[in-house]
Amino acid sequence: MIPFIQTTLDGLMVGSSYGLLALGFALIFGVMRRLNLSYGPSIMVGAYLGTLLYIQFGAPTYVVAIVAVAGSVMAGVYVERLCFAPLGVGAGVASMVSSFAIWMQLEQASLLMLPRHSYPFPSLTSGELLSVGPLVVRPDYLIMLAAMLAITAALHLLLYRTRFGLGLRAIIENSVAASLSGIDVRSTMLKAFALASAIGGVAGFLVLSANQQVTAMLGMWATLKGLIAMMIGGLGSIPGAIVGGLVLGVIEVHSQTLFGPQVRDLAAYGVLFVLLVLRPGGIFGTAAVSESAAHRGGDRWTTT
Amino acid sequence: MDDHLTGILSNIGVISFVALSAYLLLLTGEISFGQQAFFAIGAYTAGIVTAMWQLPFWLGLGAGAAAGGAAALFVGLPTLRLHGLQFAIATLAFAEAVRILFELFRYQVVRDGEPVGPNGIEGFRNIRYIFEHDVSATQFMLIIYGLLGVTLFGFFLLERSRLGVAFRMIGQDGLLAAAQGVPVFRVKLMAACLAGAIAGLGGGLYAHLTTYVEPAIFDVMLGVHSLAYGLIGGLGTAFGPLLGVVIDIGLLESTRWFAGYRMIVFGGLVAVLLIVRPRGLLDERLVHRIRRLVSRRPPPAPTNAAVLGEEPS
Amino acid sequence: MEAMLEIVDVITAYGKIEALKGISLSANRGRITCLLGPNGAGKTTLMMTVAGVLKPRQGSIKLEGNELVGLSPARIVGNGVALVPENRLVFPQMSVRENLLAGAYQRNSSGEVAADIEQMYARFPPLKERREQLAGTLSGGEQQMLAVARALMSRPRVLLMDEPSLGLAPIVVKEIFGIIAELNREGVTIFLVEQNAHLALQVAHHFYLMEQGRVTFSGTPGELAEDEVIKRAYLGTRRSAG
Repeated sequence: MIPFIQTTLDGLMVGSSYGLLALGFALIFGVMRRLNLSYGPSIMVGAYLGTLLYIQFGAPTYVVAIVAVAGSVMAGVYVERLCFAPLGVGAGVASMVSSFAIWMQLEQASLLMLPRHSYPFPSLTSGELLSVGPLVVRPDYLIMLAAMLAITAALHLLLYRTRFGLGLRAIIENSVAASLSGIDVRSTMLKAFALASAIGGVAGFLVLSANQQVTAMLGMWATLKGLIAMMIGGLGSIPGAIVGGLVLGVIEVHSQTLFGPQVRDLAAYGVLFVLLVLRPGGIFGTAAVSESAAHRGGDRWTTT
Repeated sequence: MDDHLTGILSNIGVISFVALSAYLLLLTGEISFGQQAFFAIGAYTAGIVTAMWQLPFWLGLGAGAAAGGAAALFVGLPTLRLHGLQFAIATLAFAEAVRILFELFRYQVVRDGEPVGPNGIEGFRNIRYIFEHDVSATQFMLIIYGLLGVTLFGFFLLERSRLGVAFRMIGQDGLLAAAQGVPVFRVKLMAACLAGAIAGLGGGLYAHLTTYVEPAIFDVMLGVHSLAYGLIGGLGTAFGPLLGVVIDIGLLESTRWFAGYRMIVFGGLVAVLLIVRPRGLLDERLVHRIRRLVSRRPPPAPTNAAVLGEEPS
Repeated sequence: MEAMLEIVDVITAYGKIEALKGISLSANRGRITCLLGPNGAGKTTLMMTVAGVLKPRQGSIKLEGNELVGLSPARIVGNGVALVPENRLVFPQMSVRENLLAGAYQRNSSGEVAADIEQMYARFPPLKERREQLAGTLSGGEQQMLAVARALMSRPRVLLMDEPSLGLAPIVVKEIFGIIAELNREGVTIFLVEQNAHLALQVAHHFYLMEQGRVTFSGTPGELAEDEVIKRAYLGTRRSAG
């Protein structure tokens, strides 16, 4: 029984980073109704900038953290300005493809900065394991869990207690009605993008510091994990993103313990596939994107 | 012909198949991130048939195409009733699962004292049918383009058939098409099958071109690239995705002087291009205009097709 | 009688199709101007163009002499033009109160906003009853009230209304039109789109008729009621609203 709980606990910890990644994705998707394939690569840019400072100048960990988040935000704003803002609502798929093109751009830019496959990354703790009764907890992971809870709480406050949050929720529900109410949709979208990138930057930093290394696969990894977790929890749902992340983490760690790393990934994709087929709305079953809305890019002032 | 050039052209030819595969699904309005799975299935199947079972090349290709089509049917049944983005992610999940399965897949027979066959992560080597039968690089390139030509001819016929019109109708507005009596699900399934077969055919050719395949080749990047080709080259005609492939692979090779900045330049170019032309270079409007010029018919009154999917300007 | 809202030669197109083929009309200060016309005439397109959601290919839309074309919808609200859209478009997952707050998004004085919300509750009692309820659970008539109240929260000088009677029961429609008349008495300039000519005749001061993207009639209620063609097309059959 104890090993099972231990594995589940580990899964929840890992899952909190997935949840944060998914949160960023869900925020962008909820507001823009489009998928940002440059999400992971934006995080990668920030992480690589931080790593550069670390290995070239021995920068302290908190500086690396700040740079990682700031870099992610800068890259995110760049993506928004180039791929999403100019393309408007009607262009649908084009912005997703554009974000993919920028994915390649950002990934190569990162690799130019640091060409090797992996680099050391500063850690937040000494790595000594904590004991909680019969269970063992890695402090880095505990920090991840705490960060996830803190960020989720802060986001909730932002969304439900501030004017900006009200505007954001209005746009998520109906961007045309929001603009008719006097909400500056474009400026709010940009800010949401920056916020999502910042959250992603934090998630990336925490994962890298827990692993004490950064690899060239970071961009792809962050995008895939965030995407899968978001889909499990429910497309565009913010609470769903957290739950999806946790569920993904638990499934992965259990699969790895039982069958090894390859089956771990296989299990994640398998669960996602089955879930999509059986319950396309995800666990929270919200935001079932209608076909016509998807085609017209979410243009929602017609009744059909 | 210069070997290097033959190599590039053959590569362009083979990748065009998976680009056309993604394009076919795009016509029906579906985004698939997973056509590389059928490419992989076709590659492995064809390789097994020729290198392990020692059967003729054409049989291998046929088996590859059939396997691709069958797999597409199998996956399409549960997923095609999903809407847009969920379908896209499902295809992604499927393709990655397939890739991982190939990492676990081992099937080898002994030929001439050596094991031949898919060996998990290490891939499938020695698919040497072409070389063992003295087909030159140039001849194989012609085979590739011959089959590509047949496929393009198939698209040409499709565009002019009722099925092709049904594809585009569904692509513009599935609800409207259903209201007009089009059996949407069945048509989409047909499109998926054809797309799978085309990718499978390309995969078979790819395996024999490079003589070696491994699961890592058939990753998400390949899938998203295939999708991008159609969106860059244009969705108005089957030549659109081909143009996309030529731009990518051709440009990549020719911009050697950009060295390490290739992707940065190319990525930026694509992003800018999509701002200017969201439906690609050879988009429906341009193709329509070219066709009218060619046939010199009087311009028809604007139809609903021009209205749907357009932003007010 | 001065024009508050002046629309001149507006052409709005979807790709190649021109939905508005050169519309010119005006809404006078303190009056209720009504735009009649069949489905597909382009009335909603016109409303969306004035509100800034659609960009016209050419033409000008002036509010008291200030050009609105090219401004974002939010800026247009800031200038004092608010639209109550066709089909209400309330925010279904947000409460009534939050919907009202959304309408007041650009306003900075929270005290004044709170006072206005109380005023809305007084004017629309059902909204007060359901103030914490999710807007998606309200009835059609209540949603219409909410949509009007939300638009009013921005203290507009010109209120655009796109088919406020659509899909509502006759009693509710009567109530809504009562509110329209009341608002007008308080000085709000109203530009109204309606399919139901009977209703409109009771409140509007001036009529335009729009067919297939063009204005085909402009005149007083009396002139409208006398025109034989219009009578037959829009006033002949006693169809219920919506």
